[in-house]
Amino acid sequence: MLSMNVIRLLPEIILTLSGVMVMLEEPMLPATRSRKSLGWFAIFGTLAAGAASLWQLHFPVGTAFYGMVQVDAFSVFFHLLICAVVLVTLLTSLDYFEGFATHAGEYFALVLFGATGMMLMTCSVELLMVFIGLEISSISTYIMAGMRKGQGASAEAALKYFLLGSFATAFFLYGVALIFGATGSTGFAAIAAGIPTAKAPLLVVTSFALMLIGLGFKVSAAPFQVWTPDVYQGAPSPVVGLMSTAPKAAAFAVLLRVAYTAFPTLQHRWSILIWILAVLSMFVGNLCALLQRDVKRMLAYSSIAHAGYILVAYTAYQADGIAAVCFYTAAYAAMNVGAFAVITQVSGVKESLSNIEDYAGIAQQRPMLSAALALFLLSMIGIPFTAGFFGKFYVFTAALHAGHLWLVVLGLINSGIACYYYLRFLISLYSPAPSSRAELLRGKPLSFAAAAGITLCVLATLAVGIFPGHVLHLASRASDITAITH
Amino acid sequence: MTPMSPHLIWFIPLLPFAGFVVNGLLGRRLSKNVVTGVALFCTALPMLLALWLTATFRAEHLLSLVTGHHIWIQISGFQVLFALAVDHLTLVMLAVVTGVGFLIHIYSAGYMAHEEGYWRFFAYLNLFMFFMLTLVLAANFLLLFVGWEGVGLASYLLIGFYFKKDSAANAGKKAFIVNRIGDFGFLLAMFMMIAHFGSLSFGSVFAQVAMHPQLQGGFLTAICLLLVLGATGKSAQIPLYIWLPDAMEGPTPVSALIHAATMVTAGIYMIARCHVLFDRSALALGVVALIGALTAIFAATIGMVQTDIKRVLAYSTVSQLGYMFLACGVGAYSAAIFHLLTHAFFKALLFLAAGSVIHALSGEQDMRNMGGLRHRIPVTFWTMTAGVFAIAGFPGLSGFFSKDEILYHAFTMPGPMGKLLWAVGLLTAFLTAFYMFRLWYLTFFGAQRFEDHLADGHHGDAALVHARKDTHATVVAEPAHGHGVHESSWVMLAPLVLLAILAVSGGWIGIPMALGGTNHFEHFMYPVFSTSVVPHRMLQAPAVSYTLERTLAAISVLAAVLGLLLADYFYRRRPDALAKLVHNTRGLHVTLVNKYWVDEIYAKLIIMPLMMLGRYALFYGIDLAVIGGGTALSAAGVRGTGGLLRRIQSGNIRSYAGWLAAGAAIILAVTIFGRAILHIF
Amino acid sequence: MMLVNNHILTLIVFVPLVGAALLALLPVRGRSMQWGALAVTLLTFLLTLHLPAHYDYIAGGMQFESNHLWLASPAIRYHLGVDGLSMWLIVLIGLLAPFGVLASWRAIGDRTKEFYVLFLVQQTAMLGVFVALDLFLFYGFWELSLVPMTLLIAIFGRTESRRRAAMKYFLYTFITSALLLVAILWLYARTGTFDYTVLAQMAAAHQISTSAKALWLASLAFLLAFATKVPVFPLHGWLSDAISEAPTAAAMVLVGELGLYAILRFSLGIFPAESHRIAPLMIALTAIGVVYGALIALAQTDIKRLIAYASLSHVSFCVLGIFSFTIAGINGSIYQVINHGISGGALLLLAGMLYERYQTYDMRDYGGLAQTMPWMVTLFVITTLALIGLPMFNGFIGEFLVLSGAFQTHPRWTILATVGVILGAAYMLWMVQRIFYGNVAPKLSTLSAGIDMPDLSDREQITLWPLAVLMLILGVFSPYFLRAIDTSAVLLADKPPAAAAPHVVVLSSATYALPDSSTDSAQGGK
Repeated sequence: MLSMNVIRLLPEIILTLSGVMVMLEEPMLPATRSRKSLGWFAIFGTLAAGAASLWQLHFPVGTAFYGMVQVDAFSVFFHLLICAVVLVTLLTSLDYFEGFATHAGEYFALVLFGATGMMLMTCSVELLMVFIGLEISSISTYIMAGMRKGQGASAEAALKYFLLGSFATAFFLYGVALIFGATGSTGFAAIAAGIPTAKAPLLVVTSFALMLIGLGFKVSAAPFQVWTPDVYQGAPSPVVGLMSTAPKAAAFAVLLRVAYTAFPTLQHRWSILIWILAVLSMFVGNLCALLQRDVKRMLAYSSIAHAGYILVAYTAYQADGIAAVCFYTAAYAAMNVGAFAVITQVSGVKESLSNIEDYAGIAQQRPMLSAALALFLLSMIGIPFTAGFFGKFYVFTAALHAGHLWLVVLGLINSGIACYYYLRFLISLYSPAPSSRAELLRGKPLSFAAAAGITLCVLATLAVGIFPGHVLHLASRASDITAITH
Repeated sequence: MTPMSPHLIWFIPLLPFAGFVVNGLLGRRLSKNVVTGVALFCTALPMLLALWLTATFRAEHLLSLVTGHHIWIQISGFQVLFALAVDHLTLVMLAVVTGVGFLIHIYSAGYMAHEEGYWRFFAYLNLFMFFMLTLVLAANFLLLFVGWEGVGLASYLLIGFYFKKDSAANAGKKAFIVNRIGDFGFLLAMFMMIAHFGSLSFGSVFAQVAMHPQLQGGFLTAICLLLVLGATGKSAQIPLYIWLPDAMEGPTPVSALIHAATMVTAGIYMIARCHVLFDRSALALGVVALIGALTAIFAATIGMVQTDIKRVLAYSTVSQLGYMFLACGVGAYSAAIFHLLTHAFFKALLFLAAGSVIHALSGEQDMRNMGGLRHRIPVTFWTMTAGVFAIAGFPGLSGFFSKDEILYHAFTMPGPMGKLLWAVGLLTAFLTAFYMFRLWYLTFFGAQRFEDHLADGHHGDAALVHARKDTHATVVAEPAHGHGVHESSWVMLAPLVLLAILAVSGGWIGIPMALGGTNHFEHFMYPVFSTSVVPHRMLQAPAVSYTLERTLAAISVLAAVLGLLLADYFYRRRPDALAKLVHNTRGLHVTLVNKYWVDEIYAKLIIMPLMMLGRYALFYGIDLAVIGGGTALSAAGVRGTGGLLRRIQSGNIRSYAGWLAAGAAIILAVTIFGRAILHIF
Repeated sequence: MMLVNNHILTLIVFVPLVGAALLALLPVRGRSMQWGALAVTLLTFLLTLHLPAHYDYIAGGMQFESNHLWLASPAIRYHLGVDGLSMWLIVLIGLLAPFGVLASWRAIGDRTKEFYVLFLVQQTAMLGVFVALDLFLFYGFWELSLVPMTLLIAIFGRTESRRRAAMKYFLYTFITSALLLVAILWLYARTGTFDYTVLAQMAAAHQISTSAKALWLASLAFLLAFATKVPVFPLHGWLSDAISEAPTAAAMVLVGELGLYAILRFSLGIFPAESHRIAPLMIALTAIGVVYGALIALAQTDIKRLIAYASLSHVSFCVLGIFSFTIAGINGSIYQVINHGISGGALLLLAGMLYERYQTYDMRDYGGLAQTMPWMVTLFVITTLALIGLPMFNGFIGEFLVLSGAFQTHPRWTILATVGVILGAAYMLWMVQRIFYGNVAPKLSTLSAGIDMPDLSDREQITLWPLAVLMLILGVFSPYFLRAIDTSAVLLADKPPAAAAPHVVVLSSATYALPDSSTDSAQGGK
């Protein structure tokens, strides 16, 4: 009989263990052997972790390790989300590094470790724990960004990400320090309790602002988005797919917990900050993407914009707001990971296709893949009956419900601007190909795993778009995150 | 004779339509004889039906026989039926349309024999009959409008029959569009009627007016004036007459049927039909009279100098229609209809005869290249002579009685206006006589001014003949088919003769009592116009008016004779005098030859500006510049901002750190000083 | 039968989508795509015919409804229904589709799969718009209808500027629709429902919002989105490019139907007071639009662009009728939408056939074709006559009702609009002349690119004649179609104003026969 503590941390434990296993396995395999087996192992690890977090639902909400982590519908929701993302990433990148770089094994291990960190972030209710999770996930992503060994761009991406990342986490740490100083605790509940009696209320707000900066960097919200395009362009596509969704989801989750459980009383203060961040992100993201010809950079900007949409939801009342954030994060994950999965497949490890024009004619060569990509793009535009549409719908309904009419108007105008570049990409997919490129476009055949991964995303995008009920149900269950039982 | 069942009335318009369908869809595959057979049958039968109807028609009131209750348009509170109505006015129109129509069909069989698209021609001709008969039989304004627009369509198709020729295509288009301007008025008139009477059926509109004696002028004037606009379009009156002369591009039978005898009289018919409305608006009547008088004299003057035989007749038609307008304007509707009737006879005759001449000369239409045909084509000559004397208004001939009627009514109209109108009418009568005899002399007398060898013409190929001729006013659309100068076949001559007889005797049904007649026609029309403002003669004290009427008649005869003598002087005895006269009055002559430059003025003042407006002001100015430019500009603006923002992405890590710090600073500033900032604003 | 009636709308909407899925999986062999698409569209058309056949004209109102919960929170319902407004429009969309397929039979050479799949998805989206009675569902179909159309233009457009045209179209409509979404969300926040029928009732009872300003803004958002889609002057910036680029099949349904229906159903239904308030402006804009479009059409040399501006002129008539708020006007506007669909569609088909032969839409290259293509000219002229509203053709009834209706409430603007009747004849007949009359243009022989197709092929005849016949049927047997439309129009229109001057009940008089006394009794009611 496992102790409650173990159960409440089971998914993380499973991932860590399987990650360690992969690490140990890697050197034992002869250099020439394919690393696929490790990939499969990692996949099973992920599935197990997912199963474990589902299992957690059967237990009452509660904390573990002396109130460090709390397992509730909220954490489970994000656990599952992260597992799903990792799963798809692994499936579609099983053979990505084949014959390109040695030690592909460590890649799988890093994915798992990263996932562990993210999960930790989503379930911890104590700032230091959050910080640890943040670091674990960050460091592994730093490394993964440089995985395309020997490629200048990749290395540069890794370095930039690392330097700026640590710069940003510093802010977060300051925040933690300040709030500790103000309320004498780093536990969310304690902070919430301490705020009213805090000696220097200014310290409290400032600390939140500092943490917001740290997390804002993670979710690449303007004005902390500068690193995003370069890193996304340089990093390997599957990694970008991963780091543009899972860590962000985690960071959003943390922001939710911090905002609504640690600083609920100050919403009138921090919602202004987030209002600003949201508007900035939407505009910066969309406007910059307009002229962008490099697909990965374009998607980088689009991810900034989407971060903006998600932030809009924070300005709403707690219940709608949290539900909306959860829902949108899920929807966004489905379509974004999917998009990068397709790009991974058609463009390959050599990143042969970079510009929008390069994709012209894909539709004839690889009809199914381009159809999938088209779907993801439409979902990002927010065309009805796709996940993206309902995501926007919930976010903006929530904001409107809280009376932020102008935020909603700005947001929808942005989604109008946004469709320009998505559409341009979409159209070029279906434009006639310059015959010279036909060979290049054919690319290597789709592996079963990759097909499975992409199909998952397609189904998710459609299912969430047509029957959002279930996800919404989970999300609204997750929205009740203040319930802590001691 | 047993009275005709009302349902049969439907066959009068529908038979020609059947003919159109058959010839239109199958005509290309059918033989000429079959096509002719179908077309003739589908016009002969309606004629017989019309005769039967007339013979057995017993009704004392306006529009007393109405048939048909099939709904055409129905919405809550408003409804229009497919309904036909017959009264004496309709009967007269039926007689004209079917009778003259049938004769002209026969004539065409001979005239068009060598044309390509023979079947097409007869299909269109039947289509025209259908619409024209719908027009005269309609029991409500909307159905009348169907015929109204329909005849316009038929005329468009027939004028443009030789569509290879741009001039023909243009003429067709012009006719349609100018008529559309008239229809614009007609439409608005109907809208107003709906607004005020809530119905478009003659019955209820006229009833409502009759029921309210207090209704004078006001919106009725507006309605009437709009209707007049419509009429000026269809009946080629100032200011919309310009299409009719060009319409001569069509084959001559078309000119005879549509542009002389029937369609162009639709306007007069419509005004007569609506006299209940017009009687309530002195202003509208005045306008009608004025337009009529002006058009009559105006067209007559132009007619004096035209050299194209068909154009002379065209302007004469415009002028005669002016006469009828004048008659309506003075409230003498029955006189107008009477003139409409006689005019149908002699003008159709004149056109057909002219056609026969042209036919004889293998497509020559310029009178300056004719002459001396008297003996070459005797039948044509004699029939045409009958027509000329009739239109000139020589005593005993049809034109005399109807014209006399109109002039008398104008004169007896109270007020100075009447006398003025009469004077204009009289002058017009004189001019008419002059230019008609001019035509007569130029064509049939004097030296022959054409080369016979011209005659080895081509069969039907208008383009070739066209190419071979110098053409200023001359239009050679006609079937040039030459066996030298020759009299036409009897298929063509028979209608001529019949029409000649009618042109001579047609007026006898309306001989006024003053001249010892019974004025049967006016009695016949009495039920229709009994409510007219003009007191009817049979109700007057005879003695006075009789002498007056006789004197007026004498004067108009004098005018006609003068016209004859003048023409005889200039065109037979002293051509040199003519040349001198032309030389002395050069300015006037040029003006007349150029038809007062009306077409040019319209082109400069209306068409050009409109095109300019459309192309430059609206298309380039607003659509491309403002709207298109605005869109492009805003798009560019958004892109530009994007471009600026992207400057941030220098790729230089130090600057990135800087941006990060800056962002942090902003956030912190807002956090800490947010309140203060808010206070500032 | 009950069963059919309950699910017929779902069938109608989703049959094309299923068809699209099948085509996507089918291999492209020979003309497999064409035949497949033809079969699907024909089936859909037959299904749409079920509606007029089984509509209860006496009862009127919403019928064939199916109403299920889609989402509990937010309360989104899968609510479909048809009434007089939408019924014939659905049939129209169903009718045009097979013709679209036939028109593309040869015109769309390669990548037929993409084309027909998109085409069928477009069908589903449009049909959905007409049957959706839940605002959210409606918005879904509304937005969805953008995508396939945009792609059709962007991929299958005829010149290099096709992408620009597609983008323009998409942005214009999408951005305005975004505001529409805000308004919809606002409505939901106020009332807690998306259901049209509920909202309409609340609107009638003034229960939606007490803030006149908010209602006003919301109604503007609605109208703006719809008017852009119609388009109404001056929101037609996307029109001419889109039409001139779009392949015939797409262009046939690009203009009019959706937007006009949406205005009638939602703007008038949910914001009656606000719609009345803005009516004068709309009347003015549309009256201007009629003349504006016509005058510009007069200045065009490109057939497609001429058609584009002509369409602007035509749809302006329809909107004019709507905002007259008279029974005649609204009846006429719906009728005119149908006419525009049929006649305008036919004109586009004809233009497309010319293009297939001579690869140009420039009228200056044409001329004298009447000699070589008698059938083509016949049908072209018939279509022209229908479009310029010659009596006995469909166009006349629509125009007449619209104008006579509008004249009752806004005589001055109506007079301006009526000028369009003249200009319409001018540019259409001029086009006919430039293409078909005169001598054969020398350029054509070189343009015809070897393939010499003198006159219409059988396929083309089959494509055109039914439409030509329909023009006549709609022109002569209008009561059959107006019956259903009228039931809905009466509800939207104001009570007819007591007409000016002698407005009198007519007693049937002995001396006058009154052919249609029913009219007068109806008048008596006024």
